[in-house]
Amino acid sequence: MSIPVLTADRTRVSSAAVTPTRKPRRRALSGAWRWASPVALLLLWQVTSSTGILPDDKLSSPAKVLAAGVDLATSGQLGDAFVVSLRRVLIGVAVGAVIALALGITAGLSRWGAVLVDPPVQMLRTLPFLGLIPLFIIWFGIGEEPKIALVALGFAFPLYLNVYAGIRDTDPQLLEATAVLGFTRWERLAHVVLPAALPQALVGLRQGLGVAWLSLIVGEQINADAGLGYLINNARDFLRTDQVVVGLVVYAGLGLATDALVRALEGRALRWRSTR
Amino acid sequence: MAQHTVTVRGLVRQFGPRRVLDDLDLVVRQGEFVALLGRSGSGKSTLLRILAGLDRDADGEIAVDGTVSVAFQQPRLLPWRRVWRNVSLGLHGVDGREVAEKALAEVQLTDHAQAWPLTLSGGEAQRVSLARALVREPDLLLLDEPFGALDALTRLAMHRLVDDLWQRHRPAVLLVTHDVDEALELADRVLVLDEGRIVAEHTPPAGRPRRHADLTELRARVLADLGVVTDEAA
Repeated sequence: MSIPVLTADRTRVSSAAVTPTRKPRRRALSGAWRWASPVALLLLWQVTSSTGILPDDKLSSPAKVLAAGVDLATSGQLGDAFVVSLRRVLIGVAVGAVIALALGITAGLSRWGAVLVDPPVQMLRTLPFLGLIPLFIIWFGIGEEPKIALVALGFAFPLYLNVYAGIRDTDPQLLEATAVLGFTRWERLAHVVLPAALPQALVGLRQGLGVAWLSLIVGEQINADAGLGYLINNARDFLRTDQVVVGLVVYAGLGLATDALVRALEGRALRWRSTR
Repeated sequence: MAQHTVTVRGLVRQFGPRRVLDDLDLVVRQGEFVALLGRSGSGKSTLLRILAGLDRDADGEIAVDGTVSVAFQQPRLLPWRRVWRNVSLGLHGVDGREVAEKALAEVQLTDHAQAWPLTLSGGEAQRVSLARALVREPDLLLLDEPFGALDALTRLAMHRLVDDLWQRHRPAVLLVTHDVDEALELADRVLVLDEGRIVAEHTPPAGRPRRHADLTELRARVLADLGVVTDEAA
């Protein structure tokens, strides 16, 4: 009894395995060459600085930036600023996530939710939200609140849009299949709708975090007395371009780190897709 | 009197002005294998969806006695659950790893219990879908063209498997298909549906497995019911 089933499947597999291989026309370049031009630019920067062509008060040399970074790190200034900025992002992202998930799930699951929630969110989305800073200052003052609010707002929109779309795209065939098995509405939500929306939601998370860092950088321009933005503004007042660049590099590093974190999360949560 | 698993009387299903099912009567006895043939648009899938409880807007008397399972044309597995978990979904809530693995053994997929559904071939996925339907030990198994999307070789193997599983578990089966050979090979009774009513009923010879040669004449008659003229009938 078992034999015909197995032979049938084997036939399919073996026929797929005989696709002819195509020889690449040119020899592939080593991946290391991709570092050639960035390193050359860095050298050019160092040379122009050392020879005085690029003045120190416009842009410090890479060596000076490195030295300033070590200075700021050992004095503890950089660490303190880092912690303050990270805290702003974490609180802002947490607040934004609660809002985006609540609205996205409401709009995605119920027809009334979609009719009532989606239009105003779509309208607000078209506002350039960084333009809201004057209002935020009037509403929240110039302390931590407007900075956190800006991060929360910037983070919430991409997450909302993707959660909503992800839920809407759930395959109705899977919902039917589980309904036949006797799954209630809530069980279908847990076993089908939310897992189906997860890939799209993670895309929203990644986009949202990118916007969150951008919002932080802009928000920290508002009368900050601590954090990376404060460190940069302070350095500007003393024409310390080396310290400005250090701040920028840390911002970039933070952005890359969160991106890597979400990618790792995706790899773990979406294992079932990568095996295709 | 034999127990009836399905009793349908005067069933009407209307989509706008169109009567897809028109005063239809149907009885499926306990453990009986019934095939429902019809051209596309004849209402056969609508009837199956009504019996599965997926369409509640029909009028008439509908009585289904016992547990119902469905295998669809597409396997409809949850891609984010491993194969054995997809099967245990059929148990609904009970974490029956052992039961699931036993069901997978019956469809010769023991080795794939831990696999992700997207790694399976079409035939394998459809066998998981069958295992998920059977793990509930249904009194009525509804099959909605479950072999329609498979290649010819896999389809033949699936016919043998379904026949085998049916003989072992003895649920009442309603197989919806447009493949005449499939219906004649598997079913105790073959019904032909046209314009929302059952217009013909045929009983293939009782022995199993059936030989293709013994079915030639019956095949021509069923095809004639479906409006296809063959050499044998002419």
